[in-house]
Amino acid sequence: MEDIIIRMISRISVPFIMVFGFYIILHGHLTPGGSFSGGAVLGSSMILFALAFDLEEGHKKLSHKTSTLIETGGASWFVLLGLVGIYAGTGFLANKTGGFPMGVPGELVSGGMIALITLGLGLKVASTVITLFYNLIEGDSHD
Amino acid sequence: MTTAMNIIQGHSPALIVVTFLLFSYLMPVLDSWKKNWCATLAIAAHVLALFFTGILAWQVFTTGTVTYHMGNWPPPWGIEFVIDYLAIFMLTTITVVSLLILIFATKDLGHELKAQVSSWYYTLYLLLVGAMIGLAITNDFFNMFVFMEIAAISACGIIAIKEDKECVEASFKYLILSAVGTGCVLLSVAMLYMVTGHLNFTFAAEALVPALELYPNNILVALALFSAGFIVKAALFPLHVWLPDAHSSAPSPSSAILSGLVIKIYAYAYLKLLLKVFPGDIFSMVPIYDMILILASLSIFFGSLFAIVQEDIKRMLAFSSIAQIGYVFLGIGLANQAGLTGGILHIFNHALMKAMLFLSAGAIIYCTGIRNIDQLKGIGAKMPLVMGVFAVGAMSMVGIPTTNGFISKLYLALGTLDAGKPFYLGVILVSSFLNVIYYFPIVINAFFGEPGEEPENDIPVKKLPLEMSIPLVILAAGILFFGIFPRHMLILVERAVAIF
Repeated sequence: MEDIIIRMISRISVPFIMVFGFYIILHGHLTPGGSFSGGAVLGSSMILFALAFDLEEGHKKLSHKTSTLIETGGASWFVLLGLVGIYAGTGFLANKTGGFPMGVPGELVSGGMIALITLGLGLKVASTVITLFYNLIEGDSHD
Repeated sequence: MTTAMNIIQGHSPALIVVTFLLFSYLMPVLDSWKKNWCATLAIAAHVLALFFTGILAWQVFTTGTVTYHMGNWPPPWGIEFVIDYLAIFMLTTITVVSLLILIFATKDLGHELKAQVSSWYYTLYLLLVGAMIGLAITNDFFNMFVFMEIAAISACGIIAIKEDKECVEASFKYLILSAVGTGCVLLSVAMLYMVTGHLNFTFAAEALVPALELYPNNILVALALFSAGFIVKAALFPLHVWLPDAHSSAPSPSSAILSGLVIKIYAYAYLKLLLKVFPGDIFSMVPIYDMILILASLSIFFGSLFAIVQEDIKRMLAFSSIAQIGYVFLGIGLANQAGLTGGILHIFNHALMKAMLFLSAGAIIYCTGIRNIDQLKGIGAKMPLVMGVFAVGAMSMVGIPTTNGFISKLYLALGTLDAGKPFYLGVILVSSFLNVIYYFPIVINAFFGEPGEEPENDIPVKKLPLEMSIPLVILAAGILFFGIFPRHMLILVERAVAIF
């Protein structure tokens, strides 16, 4: 579909949607929403891009390989953050005792590892949403 | 080095689950980078898990029950892992059997799957094993539910990964029914949380004693939902409909792990809930043990009966699994020392036997492509090793002395007599005869049957790779070893039963 209006509008709005997604993810420990809802917003921005342009353009921005890497990276990031607690000598997934700075409650830098975990999980959810979309669109043609 | 050792000793309950999860996340990365490392790393994860299991076993035998608090949050709030003798028994069973199946799978997968999905198989396999280990050691209702969901999704994945019509249909059926099962479990967790306010097994068990007087109906409904959920997942007779399709159409290593371990872990979780969480008074309100006994004997009887009429060898083994899970539930239903020992021991014994039988069926399919039982005549001469171990497995299924199937059946029989229910002794005996009817003709025909003159009997037989024959031999040796020297496993199981 070659429609200049849709392309221009989505070209303008995609960065804002992405910023909003990151906002929801990073404020996961302060406001409603978090890694899942933020990740879904982030993923849907890429879906919008791929729909407005075409799948080839979408693939150029974010290939299957990259989204697989982000997906596994997000999950592994969670595990590695958990292992920090063990390294600090307390327990798996220990937060304050694991040495994460707690900050002032209510501010952005607070809650220790929670913000870091939601960041990893948000990226994972985003790439999962994108992968699901690609797989549904492509169907059997991919393999 | 000593600090590393201290870290590992203190944290092995968490590390054993985390190892599997981390390695399974790494597989898709390796898929695009170093493809031939995947199998090696999956085996490395299992070896690490065996090491942690060894440490945990040593700790439990020397200092007693090991507990672990996630993120240092103490039990009423945080997630707790508890490793007692029963959990050690389950951990040993899972890690050893799944390692052997995995070694077999490294060769077999290239034959059964497309090249681009074979490393994804390891992701799903490691997730499944990690979830089962989590289920074995968790002491928290919601954590248990999460692990059940992980196990269900990854089990569907390793069935559907073959991408033919039968597999997709079977795994869809399994997905729906296991979702119903986990839904029941979640609902009953909610019911128990409503009356107790706790998700931890130990605290919920304490709070349930006074709660039973106040809200008996809630707890009875919770018990009913737990029973329904776990019976669907463990495929006991009336709710077994998903099992034959799923276990027969999946790739052979998947069938082996699904039949050998996955259905057992739900029987184990059910046993743990019944004996550790629900207060003893509830069993005088509802005859749950008698119901389990009836379902178990129906399962034993009809599973064997359906198995007799099957023509596909893997389908026959799948129906035989339904009969064998009946033995485990028979042990739970008898609820006395000897019966529980037999039932729990049968988890380990059947894991060895059924994994081996499915793997040898897989080896036959790998070498000749034959699935039909009638065409197996005279195959023993072409594949003596595979049919030899199959014969050992068949004898163990029937319960012939010197095989481990005999030991668990003996304890179950003693349990029926102790409980004063000799009717179920008859069930065990009849079922042994039924097992003879469907297992021995295969063995006898394979070794002594004359192959017909039809051209399809001259199929060229591929040579069995070493990676596939070694697990078969080890499993067969295990069956004979634990049949002749059952003491080591019995000590563990008797200590596990003694806590109830």
